[in-house]
Amino acid sequence: MSQNPYQPVIGEIVDIIDESPTIKTFVVVPEEKIKFETGQFVELTLPGVGEAPFTPSSSPADSEKMEITIMKAGLVTNLLHECKKGQKVGIRGPYGNGYPIDDFVGKYIYIVAGGVGLAPMRSLFLTLVDRIKDFKSVVCRLGARTPDDFIYKKTLFDSWQKIAGVNMKLTVDEANGGWKGKGKVGVVTTICEKKDVDTKNAVAVICGPPIMMKFATFKVVEFGFKPEDIYLSMEKNMSCGIGKCGHCMIGKYYVCKDGPVFTYDQIKNYPNIWD
Amino acid sequence: METVFISKLKPFLDAIAEQMDLYVPKKVGQHFVYSKYDPSAGTTVEFNNIRTCTPIKEFLLPLCELAAVFPEPLEPEDIKPFAVFGLKDCDLRSIEILDKVFLEEEFEDPFYVTRREKMFIISSDCFEPGESCCCDLFGGQPFAQSGFDLNVSKIRDGFIIEAGSEKGQGLIEQHAQLFTDVPETLLAERDENRARTQKQLEQNNAEYKLDAPVNEVIENSPDSDVFDIESQKCVECQACTRVCPTCHCFYLYDTKQKDYFAKMKMWDSCMRVGYAAVAGDENPRRMLGDRIKHRLMHKFSFFFDRYGIDMCVGCGRCIDADSHKMDIRVVLKKLNEELKDKPKAKIAK
Repeated sequence: MSQNPYQPVIGEIVDIIDESPTIKTFVVVPEEKIKFETGQFVELTLPGVGEAPFTPSSSPADSEKMEITIMKAGLVTNLLHECKKGQKVGIRGPYGNGYPIDDFVGKYIYIVAGGVGLAPMRSLFLTLVDRIKDFKSVVCRLGARTPDDFIYKKTLFDSWQKIAGVNMKLTVDEANGGWKGKGKVGVVTTICEKKDVDTKNAVAVICGPPIMMKFATFKVVEFGFKPEDIYLSMEKNMSCGIGKCGHCMIGKYYVCKDGPVFTYDQIKNYPNIWD
Repeated sequence: METVFISKLKPFLDAIAEQMDLYVPKKVGQHFVYSKYDPSAGTTVEFNNIRTCTPIKEFLLPLCELAAVFPEPLEPEDIKPFAVFGLKDCDLRSIEILDKVFLEEEFEDPFYVTRREKMFIISSDCFEPGESCCCDLFGGQPFAQSGFDLNVSKIRDGFIIEAGSEKGQGLIEQHAQLFTDVPETLLAERDENRARTQKQLEQNNAEYKLDAPVNEVIENSPDSDVFDIESQKCVECQACTRVCPTCHCFYLYDTKQKDYFAKMKMWDSCMRVGYAAVAGDENPRRMLGDRIKHRLMHKFSFFFDRYGIDMCVGCGRCIDADSHKMDIRVVLKKLNEELKDKPKAKIAK
């Protein structure tokens, strides 16, 4: 008998970190170890309520626990935000593909992310930083609505910026008193410049709300990035996670199985990819 | 593999029903639907000239089923062997399509696997095709060639039964006393019947024949207005996807029982407005025309790209089910005509 792919592994929420007014990071310890690659996602079940897909925000190198950063955006996520430490959850996965990190060796990595899109980027960032010498440079252009809305503030505003080989700029749509000196004001594309990287020897990685991903993609295309060098972490309605239920299709691709990481080249001609 | 003759269906079906649950077509109003065969009831056995109105996927993917239970895990129940009589070639091809998704992929669906292994398939030739029958337009024909355990061909004085698998052959051998040899003349009669039905079908559908392969017609029409125009007839009842034997989308949801939690799997429909919606009220196919386009593109482009076959068998169930008679043949023909006038940009792969 084949294994039941719909059966979740039980896990426990052992810690909850408030990241922003609408975002929390849940530290989950699964009863069975779940090995994943950065960029892959899991289906997290709140028992009796529902299930939703999330890309872990922790480094795959940490095999004991998994961190999942979640924004309040719907039924399941609203109720997850009300959970306390000790809550049992279900985890299925990991599903889909990860970032092809080995293909990035020797190149500039141009990360453009916004809002809760920083969550999967954190996992990627930590993975890259572990072997930072393999890459030309990791260039991050990150945005949030307000300074309060930035997640991972403690490391983002401080230690990450000091890592040799990392070049980081931040921006917010709306600043407040404490923002001065930390970054710019404007949407994330306003801190992206052609001179940031040598596009001939670079890959772009983009993650964030659909509208941000759309304009960031157009921007990096304008800089000279080839569509096959632009990696997008797509958010669609991934439900079964195993390429059967149909909800997450982009053209012939199942985002859950063939993605969630796609190159722009793979999907650019299909309708409604940004909606 | 053997081909044999029997003059009446009842002793043959009784023999099968002795070994396993048997489901047979039963006429309800204008249509055939499946019901469990009861040998003792003494009712006349009905031979369905065309496919039933409900799809064969019911036997493999129930409308709603338990997919997982926790904290204690669930393994699929052991299902007893069962037989289904009266599948047509379109039905067999629909199973081939479902197999691609649920058996041949990296992740097997264990519930589908179990049912598929236990299903004994008795197909039969079509007679007098229905108005909506259009398998000839989609690579099929009104009689089965493969994918069955036994196939039944109705002729004037009885039935020719052909084994298509070891299981089928075994059943014939086990009940050898019921059958006689088939003379060549009866085989010739079967072939004439088949040719006649095929011709009838082609005549019925002559006006819908496309000038290019259906994949090409669809792939060249991503910007067509036809989908939006056709959508004006649609009342979003989703019946087309429910009766479709190849549509296999499902919805996975969680429930809370007295002392356990469960995940359920239920048929879903890409025609439903919230089908592809994600958190934050984003929806790639809010417009009905976009959903109709996606459905047809999935059937004739996306599925073909992935598995090398179309995800439509031309059974015509969706045509019968549509209260406003949106006809897949008409939609494709309109796209075909539009391309004649104006070549469009092909979607890249």
